[in-house]
Amino acid sequence: MASRNCLMRLKTFQLSSFNPPNGIAFSRGFGASPPVFQIKWLQAVSHAEKVVGNPTFLDLESVTSHEISNMAVYLKNLIKTGHPLTSTVKELLNPKAKKDLTRGLLVLLVSKAGKHKANEDILPNQRKLAEITEQIHTAHIIHSGIINLPTPNENLEKGNKMAILCGDFIQSRSSIRLAEFKNIKIIELFGQAIADFSAVEFIDEDTYCALDLWTQKTKMRYGTLLSNACQSTLILGGDMDLLESAKNFGLEIAFAWQANIDLQSYKSTTKKEEHILTKLFPPGTPFEEILLIFEAVRDKHINASLEILAKFPQNDACLALCDIAKALNY
Amino acid sequence: MVINVKLTNLLAYSSLAVRRVSHLGKHHGDLPYQLLLSKPNPLFHHKKQIQTVVPSTSTKNVTVPVENIPTADSLVRLDLEGLYEDIREGLSETQPELKLIAQYYFNGEGKAIRPVITMCMARAINFHLDQNTPSVLQKQKKIAQIAEMIHTASLVHDDVIDVADSRRSRPSVNIVWGQRKSIIAGDFILAMASKMLARLQNKQVIILLSQVLADLVQGEFMQLGARENKDERFAHYSEKTFKKTASLIAYSCQAVSVLSGADSTLQAVAFQYGRQIGMAFQLVDDLLDFIATSAQLGKPVAADLRLGLATAPVLFAAQKFTELNPLILRRFQEPGDAETAFRLVLRSDGLQRTKDLARQYCNDAVTQIAQLTPSPYQQALVTLAHQLLHRMK
Repeated sequence: MASRNCLMRLKTFQLSSFNPPNGIAFSRGFGASPPVFQIKWLQAVSHAEKVVGNPTFLDLESVTSHEISNMAVYLKNLIKTGHPLTSTVKELLNPKAKKDLTRGLLVLLVSKAGKHKANEDILPNQRKLAEITEQIHTAHIIHSGIINLPTPNENLEKGNKMAILCGDFIQSRSSIRLAEFKNIKIIELFGQAIADFSAVEFIDEDTYCALDLWTQKTKMRYGTLLSNACQSTLILGGDMDLLESAKNFGLEIAFAWQANIDLQSYKSTTKKEEHILTKLFPPGTPFEEILLIFEAVRDKHINASLEILAKFPQNDACLALCDIAKALNY
Repeated sequence: MVINVKLTNLLAYSSLAVRRVSHLGKHHGDLPYQLLLSKPNPLFHHKKQIQTVVPSTSTKNVTVPVENIPTADSLVRLDLEGLYEDIREGLSETQPELKLIAQYYFNGEGKAIRPVITMCMARAINFHLDQNTPSVLQKQKKIAQIAEMIHTASLVHDDVIDVADSRRSRPSVNIVWGQRKSIIAGDFILAMASKMLARLQNKQVIILLSQVLADLVQGEFMQLGARENKDERFAHYSEKTFKKTASLIAYSCQAVSVLSGADSTLQAVAFQYGRQIGMAFQLVDDLLDFIATSAQLGKPVAADLRLGLATAPVLFAAQKFTELNPLILRRFQEPGDAETAFRLVLRSDGLQRTKDLARQYCNDAVTQIAQLTPSPYQQALVTLAHQLLHRMK
C-alpha cells in the first residue's frame, strides 16, 4: 500500500543519491548553522545586489502614488488588528531592514547572466519584470496568510479584509504592468505561475508520498514562478538560446533555496514532530535520517543549478549566481 | 444622407415569425423562432439594399410592441449556449477540490447579463462593420467568457470581504470552504482568465481587460473609504460605481469592438454604451435594495445599509434630511442607524431621483447605440436599456 511504497522509495533514494557533490561541504548534526556559513550567505547576496545595481522592490514608503499610499495605510491597519500576517507586513513596509535573497534579485541576475556581450546592461523592461515577479510573490504570500474564521472575530476579519484587498491590489497592478510588455508568451507564463501556486493549496496529500509531495508542492508554489520569470526575462532580453537553461535554472534554484529554508527551520525548531518535513515521512522516522535526506535533496539541486549555470556566459552575474548557489548550504 | 430605417425594420421583423420572448434573465426552455442568429440574414446584409428596396415613407419613430422585439438574451442564446460549460471546462484541469470551488458560482444560475450584453454588442458591431469572419466571433465569445470569469472571481472575493452567507439562494463560497481557500480559488480563476486572454493574441484587448482588474480592486477600496466632505460624496459614489460595476461591461464592449476591427470612434460608442448601461444597472440595483422584497432579490433587503454603504438613494435623501450625514459618516454602525436611514430614504425623494438618474443613463446608452447600423442586435441593446428601467417598477 501507499506507506510501504513510500518506505521502499525512501530507502532507494538514500542508497542512490549519496554522492558528495564537488566543493560542497556536508553539514551534519542538529543545531543552528555555524556563523561562518551564514556570513558567506549574506556576503553572496550582498555582492549579488551590487552586481545588479542595488534594486528595491515594492518600496511602499517612497512611492507617492495615491493608491499605493492608501495601501500602506491599510497594511498598517492590518498590523493593528493583530492578524498573523503582521510580521510579513512589517517587512513589506520596511524593505531595507532585511538583506536576504529575493526572487526579484534572482531574476535580475539571470537577466544579466544572459547577456552575451560584456557591455550589455539589464534592460529597463527586465528590471520591471523582476519587480513584477517580486510583487506577484508578495501578493501570494499575503493571500496565503488569510486565516479561516469559523466564528466571527471583528479584528481578525478586518485583518483578513486588508489582506485580501492588498493582495488584490498588488496582483491587479502586476497584471496591468505585465500587459504593457505586449508579449503573449510572458503573460501566459505568469498566468500559469499564479494558477500553480494557487492550486497548491488544494493538493490531495494522499496521492503523493514523502519527497514526491515536497517536490510537487515546492515546484508549484515556488518553482513555476521562478522558472517562468527567468524564461520571461530572457525573452525580453532577446537571449533565446538560453531560454531552456533559464527555465531549468529557475526551477533548480527554487528547489535548492526552499530545501535550505525548510532545513534551517527544521534544524532550529524545538518541536520537530510538528515540522512539515517530519510530516512527509512515516511516523517514527529518526530525525537525523530526515536531516540527511533533505541535505542530499538540497545538494542535488544546488549541483544541478551549478551545472546549468555553466552554460551561461561566465560574466559577473553568472558568477554571483554560482556563489549564491554554493552558499545555500549554510 | 440618412434614411430612417426604423419603418423598414418593422416590415422586416414582421416578415419573420417571432413568438413571445421571455423576460430578460429567465431561461425557459426552447423558444422556437425564425430569427437568423449565426448566419447573416440577407435581408440585413447590406445597408444599401435596405435603403433601396423599401423606401421609407415616414421619418417618425415607429413604436414596435414590446412582445415582437426579440430581447438581447434570446438573440444571443445560441452564442452563449456553451458559456458556462466552457468556463467550467477551462477550470477543470486542476486539483479536485479547487475545481469544485472554482466551478461553484458558474452553475448558470446568475443573470448572465454581462455575457449577454457583450455578445449582443459583438453582433451589433459585426453587423455594423459587415464583419463575418467566424474566428472573430469565436474570440468575441471568449471575451464574454473571460468577462464572466473576472466578474465571478470578484464576487468570490467580495463575499469573503463582506462576510456574506448566501448568494443566489445558496451558501456563499466562504461559508462552504472557509475564507482562505475561497480567496485563493478566486485568484486561480483570475489566473486562468488571464491565460485565456493571452491566447486571444490581441495586445490591446489584453490591456483593456487588465484595466478592469485594477478598477475592480480600486472600486472595492473606494467602497471602504468614506468621504468627509458631503459635496464630494456623490462624485465618489459615481466613480466607485464605474469601477466596481460599469468598468467591466464598458471594457468588454470595447474589447469585442476591437476584435471586430472597430476604429477608435466606434470603440468609443461601444465603450460608452457599456459604461452607461453599467451605471444604470448599478443604480437600479441600489434602488431595488430598498424597494424589492428579499424573495425577489435572493438576498436580504437593505443589505447595502447593513454593510455601511451609502448608495444613491441615501445620498439623495441626505440632501433633504441632513440628519443622515453623521449616520453616513459612521457607516450606519450604531444600533438603529440602518432602520432610521431606511425610513428616511422612503420618506424622501431619494428613490425618485435615483430612478431619474438611471433613466438618464439608459437614455444616453440608447443614444450611443443608435449610432450603429440598425439590426436586431442593435435594437435588442436598446430594448435592454428599456427593460432595465422596467425593473424599477
